[in-house]
Amino acid sequence: MIEVHDLSVDIGGRTILQGVDLSAPAGQLTAVIGPNGSGKSTLLKALCRDHRYSGEVLINGRNLTALSPAEAATQRAVLPQSSNLPFPFTVREVVAMGLTAGRPGPTGEALLRLPEQALTAVDLPGFGGRYYGELSGGEQQRVQLARVLCQVWRPVLDGVPRYLLLDEPVSSLDVRHQLMIMDVARRFADSGGGVIAVLHDLNLAAMYADQVVALRRGEVVAAGPAEQVITDQVVADVFECPLQVGLAPSGGAPFVLPQSIRRDAPVHSRVA
Amino acid sequence: MSSVMTMAGIIRQRREAGDRSHLGRAAVLVLAVVLVLAMVLSMTTGASGASAWTILKGWLGMAPGELDGVRDYAVIYHIRLPRMILGVLIGAALAVSGLLMQGLFRNPLADPGLVGVSAGGSLGAVSIIVLGTTVLAPLTALLGIYSLQLASFFGGLVTTFILYRVATRSGQTAIATMLLAGIAIGALAGAVTGVLVYVATDAQLRDLTFWGLGSLSGANWVKVAASGPIILAALAVSPFLAKGLNAMTLGEATAAHLGIPVQRFKLVTIVVVAAATGASVAVSGGIGFVGIVVPHLLRLVIGPDHRYLLPATALLGASFLLFADAISRLIVAPAEMPIGIITAAFGGPFFLWILLRRRSAFAW
Repeated sequence: MIEVHDLSVDIGGRTILQGVDLSAPAGQLTAVIGPNGSGKSTLLKALCRDHRYSGEVLINGRNLTALSPAEAATQRAVLPQSSNLPFPFTVREVVAMGLTAGRPGPTGEALLRLPEQALTAVDLPGFGGRYYGELSGGEQQRVQLARVLCQVWRPVLDGVPRYLLLDEPVSSLDVRHQLMIMDVARRFADSGGGVIAVLHDLNLAAMYADQVVALRRGEVVAAGPAEQVITDQVVADVFECPLQVGLAPSGGAPFVLPQSIRRDAPVHSRVA
Repeated sequence: MSSVMTMAGIIRQRREAGDRSHLGRAAVLVLAVVLVLAMVLSMTTGASGASAWTILKGWLGMAPGELDGVRDYAVIYHIRLPRMILGVLIGAALAVSGLLMQGLFRNPLADPGLVGVSAGGSLGAVSIIVLGTTVLAPLTALLGIYSLQLASFFGGLVTTFILYRVATRSGQTAIATMLLAGIAIGALAGAVTGVLVYVATDAQLRDLTFWGLGSLSGANWVKVAASGPIILAALAVSPFLAKGLNAMTLGEATAAHLGIPVQRFKLVTIVVVAAATGASVAVSGGIGFVGIVVPHLLRLVIGPDHRYLLPATALLGASFLLFADAISRLIVAPAEMPIGIITAAFGGPFFLWILLRRRSAFAW
């Protein structure tokens, strides 16, 4: 479990996060939602120790500040928003960096096969020999996810659950791959690992998350199961935008249909 | 023979697409052989007709009267051997320094010359050459024959730490700030060096000019003893930086997520670069482009994985400098052309070619 107690982050004298409490249990997918500038990415960065913070972050009961970088790398892997490489690495070489960093689990021959398995998991089988710099943005994002998966390949190792911290993992993906990548994250959680994902798409959050945390101006407004957080009330409040939440015909998960704020000027009447 | 078999074995090994580790291992083996050849070449070429082979024959009594044993012994052991050893050490040091800077700054065109480390080292050395008999006389008396090496190493270190202090805020080093600060500090060191050159005597000016062009011609055992341990220590540390350099290409934050203690890694890298560059500059002056040309060529062949790139760069850097030195000795024999002219003649056009290539489709 990743536990956050009274977390605050100041950057350049401005308070970005204030008194955030959160617990992300192993075996669950926790989605963090909120408008731009609400502190979602800062929260994730604090959990990776990229930012200084006050308060306490515990990972599997141990204080984050007490972990060495190498120890932390065996317990959680982090997907950044974007990565450019200054040197001509092949896709396989990038993915294999996850092998030397964390503790994937498998050893020997099986370890050497991991990069290709991870690439297959993100729907890039056979891409190992391509140059990273020649791929599209969405493909690069999936290569990075494959690298991250290699770092903590077994969601639970020696009885200790590991965590994926994903910063907008599907932001540059087409709809098919959005679902595919969320499935990968979902499977990781179902196998006993923990996932914390910053998501912009409320529908993906509703569909995949066990727990949704809504942030607004650096504070947690609501946290809980999707059907309690993704409601007309909370969504309108958090995003300051009237949105209609419905229930999906299959499964009954909430869904959000974006509508123009200008109610008085619906699309069809503007055409006429 | 056995190394050829090993190499064939490595290349035949089954491997996954995009895995170039076999190329890296093969390159290290091939370059080790190339370095041995370069060392033999370096020992057997020069203005004097002496060669290691004739010495050996003389010892074995196979060719009595064919050579002047005492003179050739002196040429081999007091001139060529220390020169060859310094060539190997300085070539490796310059090439590895360039590679480390490029990895640290995530920029394939970075070089100790670029961030003022060489300029700081030069200032230290020039101070000793110009002021060693007057203002700095107590210092040179104290340090004796080591004063040039230590002053240069000290200059490189001071430059690097000023750079580090200027560019580092709350434990984070901003690479862009560091590059710009490097240009400013380099210019400052250059200006002070200019003042020293202005007050130098004619004889000192001649020393400065030849030292500044870069040369191994003054090599002797004292210089080997003064610079060798520093360079060897720096080279010995560098393999431990390989994993960190790989991770750093993904950015500082991601390197930390991959378990690299980033601040400590950067500090160690900087000290290694300053030590290797300073100790080299003291002996040979400004030998340019080795740190750009060698890593770049190898990246084209074996890829940028620093676990193989580091040893390969050290080996090729050493060979490159020995070959350049051999050319510098032969081209205008019995006189010598400063080696910096040879490396610049290769490196300048190569650097322009890299810049032209970077404008095309590839993203590096």
